[in-house]
Amino acid sequence: MNILGIYSNKGGVGKTTAAVNLSFLAAEAGLKTLVCDLDPQSAASFYFRVKPKLKRNAMGFRKGGKNIARSIKGTDYENLDILPADFTHRNLASTFNKLKRRKRRLNRILDPLRPEYNLIVLDCPPSISLLAENIFNVADYLLVPVIPTTLSVRSHLQLLTFLKKKNYAKDNIFAFFSLVDRRKKMHKELMATISREFKGILHNSIPSLSNIERMGIEREPVQAFAPTSVAAKSYRKLWQEVDETLLD
Amino acid sequence: MNLSVLDGRDGRKIIGDLADYHLLIQEQPKAKNVAIYDTFDWRLFEKSLLLYGAENELILHSLSDYKIVRRTKVDSLPGFAWEFPDGDLKSLLAPILEMRRLLKLTEFRSLFTIYRILNKEQKTVVKLFYEEICRVAQEQTLCVHLHVEPVRGYPRYYRKTVDRLEKMGFVQINPKTMYFDVLKESDKTPGEYSSKLRLQLEPNMRSDEATKIILRSLLRTMKANENYIIEDLDTEFLHDFRVAIRRTRIVLGQIKRVFPADTTKKFQRDFAILGKLSNELRDLDVCLLKENPYKKMVPESLREEINPLFLFLNDKRSKVLEDFKNSLCSAEYSKAVRKWEDFLNEPLAESPTAPNATVPISELARKRIHKRYTEILKTGAQPSETANDHRLHALRIECKKLRYLMEFFFSLFPRRKISRLIKELKSLQDNLGDFNDLCIQRAYLRKTVDELPISGHQAKKTTLAIGSLIGRLEEQTQTAKGSFSEIFTRFASPTNRGLYHELFVATKGKASP
Ligand SMILES: Nc1ncnc2c1ncn2[C@@H]1O[C@H](COP(=O)(O)OP(=O)(O)OP(=O)(O)O)[C@@H](O)[C@H]1O
Ligand SMILES: [Mg+2]
Repeated sequence: MNILGIYSNKGGVGKTTAAVNLSFLAAEAGLKTLVCDLDPQSAASFYFRVKPKLKRNAMGFRKGGKNIARSIKGTDYENLDILPADFTHRNLASTFNKLKRRKRRLNRILDPLRPEYNLIVLDCPPSISLLAENIFNVADYLLVPVIPTTLSVRSHLQLLTFLKKKNYAKDNIFAFFSLVDRRKKMHKELMATISREFKGILHNSIPSLSNIERMGIEREPVQAFAPTSVAAKSYRKLWQEVDETLLD
Repeated sequence: MNLSVLDGRDGRKIIGDLADYHLLIQEQPKAKNVAIYDTFDWRLFEKSLLLYGAENELILHSLSDYKIVRRTKVDSLPGFAWEFPDGDLKSLLAPILEMRRLLKLTEFRSLFTIYRILNKEQKTVVKLFYEEICRVAQEQTLCVHLHVEPVRGYPRYYRKTVDRLEKMGFVQINPKTMYFDVLKESDKTPGEYSSKLRLQLEPNMRSDEATKIILRSLLRTMKANENYIIEDLDTEFLHDFRVAIRRTRIVLGQIKRVFPADTTKKFQRDFAILGKLSNELRDLDVCLLKENPYKKMVPESLREEINPLFLFLNDKRSKVLEDFKNSLCSAEYSKAVRKWEDFLNEPLAESPTAPNATVPISELARKRIHKRYTEILKTGAQPSETANDHRLHALRIECKKLRYLMEFFFSLFPRRKISRLIKELKSLQDNLGDFNDLCIQRAYLRKTVDELPISGHQAKKTTLAIGSLIGRLEEQTQTAKGSFSEIFTRFASPTNRGLYHELFVATKGKASP
């Protein structure tokens, strides 16, 4: 049983698309998989055509246990369930803030789901907040999409420092390049340097592709509507690497 | 939820009508040949499992709700558990199948269509798996099966869909019923063969009649296995065949004076000879089934050196099997079996000469079981210093007799109580059986060393490897011996004794008002 957090402190780097496609591939490989949509923007739920819970006011998340299990929906794919986003204007962080042991709330919420799944994938909102700390505490591994630009690399460094301060084990942090434009010289050079200087950079990256953008129209993982596309193949390779290097 | 369609209705059309209420998607129908597999003794069915193969995939279903338990891709159909690709299907099946081969029970053609009901978001909320089954190369549908699967989190769509389908002509069925229906087409009934005895006797039945019922059922088992022994599909056909012979011999020897003495004696002689015919073949089977555990017992440095032994045994087995097949196909064998069958089918004599022939079977059963039990207590209770090998062998045979008698007469006694006694006896038997098997295997290996057709350097190394194996077996023999007295004490405990007394001695007094 593994919990994989797809996380970045930066927005729009491809977290949700990665969470959706990787969990699809995990389920296809036979792992009983749950995607946890932790982002109030509920993009992951949208891709699986599941409506977010609007009225319950994060009650499920607050109490955990049975309430959580009841909110889980089956996706259209075998072995793959989703826990839809479940908030109104309030976000999880502020909900947790009022509770006891607030940095480990997410553990309490996800623990009862462990026996049922082989893999839980967390789609996280971009923030360094209490929610992020909860994510660090519960995830066995963090997978961080990094766009090969100087700005993104700087924020990745920031994240590593932050995690170090929080005593999060370095060995459990992995990154992959996302939204890569192979034609840009700068992208290539940056990727080479970073791969040399940082540990935990995966070999496989995700190029910037129109088929990935199209997911928003199709509301399906790339694998489902364009299984032989370059996009699908890139995620497949990334999944294989994740499966081999991260997961137990 | 599993449904089938009422006679004369068109399942496909009914499902199509659901489109009046919801968005309904029909996926491309797929036609494929499907085969169902189980062992000869229905091990999967007994565990409520159904294994079927379609194209290059094996799928294991639960027969209680038809849910898929495991599935795996295969290049070719595995016959034995150890031939499955590593994975969770293999690990689930291995302890169930053990050494038995999977047989193809039937083959049919399946036209399989998936329908999905979508909500307004175009999200799947109910799945329908619709299957039409027909005989291979024939048009007419034998049966229709619709499995309605809820999607987690959308219970209301599911309930409504099932409701509608039932109103329009579908009915709920148990997947087991469907399994029986499909197999009936190939004249098979799930569970029809079992290596366990399933006898139903009446307490007041004449003893000669009851005895013949038992013997007939044993003859059926022999015949059921005969042909498969010749085909050599797995080792258990011979095993069951031999057990039936052994049981027959114990019936003849233990249910005394129910037939004329010379008749009994003659058949006892026949079965003794028949039993011996396959002794060597069974010894070889036991040894070869143990190839892997044996290899593990040999120190790693010598492990490869033991291979000539198994090559030799395999070779020898083909010859011994050939001999045994010839005996099974011989005129003598069929004559002996025919005579036996004639005797069993003969009508009962109105006033038989054998003194126990007309005694009610429950009376005779009690007497015989009690006799065997007291015998065992006597043999087993000798002081433990004399727990020599000889005595343990004698005890094992005594126990086997008692066990078989209790199983033959199982239906005559209160179920719970006799089951408990059998269970208690079984743990003693397991201990004695281990001990005996180990002794036999050691002796067999020692004998085989002299027969090995190798010489020189290799011979020395192989002998060394076998020697170390025999050493390990010797250790295990001592362990089995060591735990004997504790197990026996439990068997001879006052509670157990009391229960034997209650069932097999005191019932008479109790029955009278
Ligand atoms: N490899 C790619 N090629 C092309 N477009 C991409 C790719 N990856 C992501 N996108 C697009 O970029 C946008 C942001 O992607 P995504 O939602 O996966 O990022 P995110 O990190 O989850 O964002 P947020 O921080 O807002 O949650 C989306 O519109 C998506 O379609
Ligand atoms: Mg996102």
